[in-house]
Amino acid sequence: MGRYDLRALRVRQTAKALFDSKRNRELPQWYNIVGDIPPGETLARPVLRIPQIKGRAKKPSRLFQPLAIHHPEDKLREDFFGDHPWELARPRLVVEDSGNDSKRYDWSKMVQPGKQLDGESVVQRQLWLMKHANLSKPAAYDLARKEFYQHRHLEDVRRRVAKEEAMHTGAYFAKGPLEVGMELEDKMWEGWKTWAQQQIDDEESMRSQMMSAPQAGAGADADMDAALDDAQEAVPQAREGQGVRVRA
Amino acid sequence: MIIRQHLARTGSRALVRSSSHPLRRFLSAETDARHVSADDSIKQLHTLDTQLDTPSLPPASTNDSHTHPSATPAQLSAQVAEQYHQFKKQQQLIGKLGSDITPHYQPHTLLNNPPSPADVTLELLLASEAHQGHATSIWNPANARYIHGIRQGTHIISLEVTAAHLRRAAKVVQEVSRRAGMVLFVGTRDGQDRAVVRAAELAKGYHLFERWIPGSITNGQQILGRCKTKVVNEKDVEIDGFDEQLWGRPVLRPDLVVCLNPLENYVLLHECALNNIPTIGVIDTNADPTWVTYPIPANDDSLRCIQVIAGVLGRAGELGQKARLAAAERGEVVYSPAKGLVLPGDEDKAAADTSAREQLSPDEQQKLDEGIVDPDDLATMLDEAAHHEGKAKSDRIKVVS
Repeated sequence: MGRYDLRALRVRQTAKALFDSKRNRELPQWYNIVGDIPPGETLARPVLRIPQIKGRAKKPSRLFQPLAIHHPEDKLREDFFGDHPWELARPRLVVEDSGNDSKRYDWSKMVQPGKQLDGESVVQRQLWLMKHANLSKPAAYDLARKEFYQHRHLEDVRRRVAKEEAMHTGAYFAKGPLEVGMELEDKMWEGWKTWAQQQIDDEESMRSQMMSAPQAGAGADADMDAALDDAQEAVPQAREGQGVRVRA
Repeated sequence: MIIRQHLARTGSRALVRSSSHPLRRFLSAETDARHVSADDSIKQLHTLDTQLDTPSLPPASTNDSHTHPSATPAQLSAQVAEQYHQFKKQQQLIGKLGSDITPHYQPHTLLNNPPSPADVTLELLLASEAHQGHATSIWNPANARYIHGIRQGTHIISLEVTAAHLRRAAKVVQEVSRRAGMVLFVGTRDGQDRAVVRAAELAKGYHLFERWIPGSITNGQQILGRCKTKVVNEKDVEIDGFDEQLWGRPVLRPDLVVCLNPLENYVLLHECALNNIPTIGVIDTNADPTWVTYPIPANDDSLRCIQVIAGVLGRAGELGQKARLAAAERGEVVYSPAKGLVLPGDEDKAAADTSAREQLSPDEQQKLDEGIVDPDDLATMLDEAAHHEGKAKSDRIKVVS
């Protein structure tokens, strides 16, 4: 075979050839069906979609490749999400009900029943304002953006009131994920502190066992402090000696 | 907590009190001045259950035994009927109250009630994400005809082409089912099993959702040789007594294979191509459309899309099977009968036929094989065609597994 295996596309011709050459005693049941409903042209070249431009024509090898799809609101989306990058971090519902969802929306208002308020609302509202209210692009953006802030604020208020009402009627809310995480971190930190203290103690006890001579421990330090105290009064340039120790 | 407090307050009263119309009050929506405890309601439900389960026995519950000390079965059933009537009345009264839920996407409906080929719209395909292809870098240029454009680095499949190819494939499945062909539905990815099984159930076909064992067609005698087969008539009723004849027959092969994920099933499609079996496949932008006879350009990674496609093909198969069974009711047989099978009572006749046939010359044998018959036989055949009921039973049988 060549590069392509076309046996799957030529089942009918093969069946006919097998029947004619008496390899098969009868034609398959689907012989007429595949004849009536033939397979499409699988390896045909697509239509040329690029307009012929003089000067900077496309490479001939790319002439029949698919083209990029552009929409007028692409630039608006880019602007909005450039200014509000954290809008992209919010969870978003992308499941469509019937495929006709967008036909129900009326962008003379910001809020649509059955659609969550998000950056796409701003873009569509801005587009509507530019088209129907004859606003310029920045003016429409400003208006849509401020409406969006207002509705986000109202959403926050609604959420807070709902929580207050629920708590008033006896609901209680468990710890949030951040609190749970902080608790776990605290627990781990405390555990590490005890472990580290234990390590230090062990090491010190081992060192004290290894050295037979008494360590320069608490007694030696106390002697040194007493000696320093005595010396500081005699040294006027010492930092702790200047005017601090005024003895009555 | 509220229920618990209520119970503490009214529990003792509720336990003592007995009601002659337990369910009516339980179903009532209006606020009753009397207190209803949850415990009481549960007891009433138990009583109703007992009545429904054992209508001939007296109720076992102590609560009921002193309420209705001598209730006959007839009285009990009348009571249940009255309660049911009340329930329906209440339902009619208050069933429409509350908020109005607009129609929305429910994933199970694609399995319970799949769309038929007539329901295929571009909106349905768009909502099921049939248009989403793969990244442009991994495309197969043979799919250029099916691609609408490039959006954010991915190819977008043209939904018009998808709908056209899907309808064409549905027509093929319908016609093959109408002529009693074996249709095998294959979808071996995670989550495709229910769609595949449902489609096969509708089309009375066969399903595969785990793994295609390589060689099931090319080396079928070894792999499927011991699978059980049976002989059915044109109304799909099994005919017994063929066990000995079925032994040693060549294994069955599908007449049409529907593959929902061709990328993982190259071996299956290759075997089908080798054995001259037409195939239908869902071709994403990174799949090779020459692997299948009838490609359906669509997104094979979306389960919703796969459910739509499998449902449409299953529905098409269902239409074909209905047409076939309707024809069988009229006495028409749409397929050519299985070769080499003799009805259990006719062995002697068949043996005689064989011996008579052996006495013929090779030329005459070939004529018989090719269906060239003499005028007398033709007359009998025409007679039989005129009286479908008189058609030989052995002309209607086929082998299925």
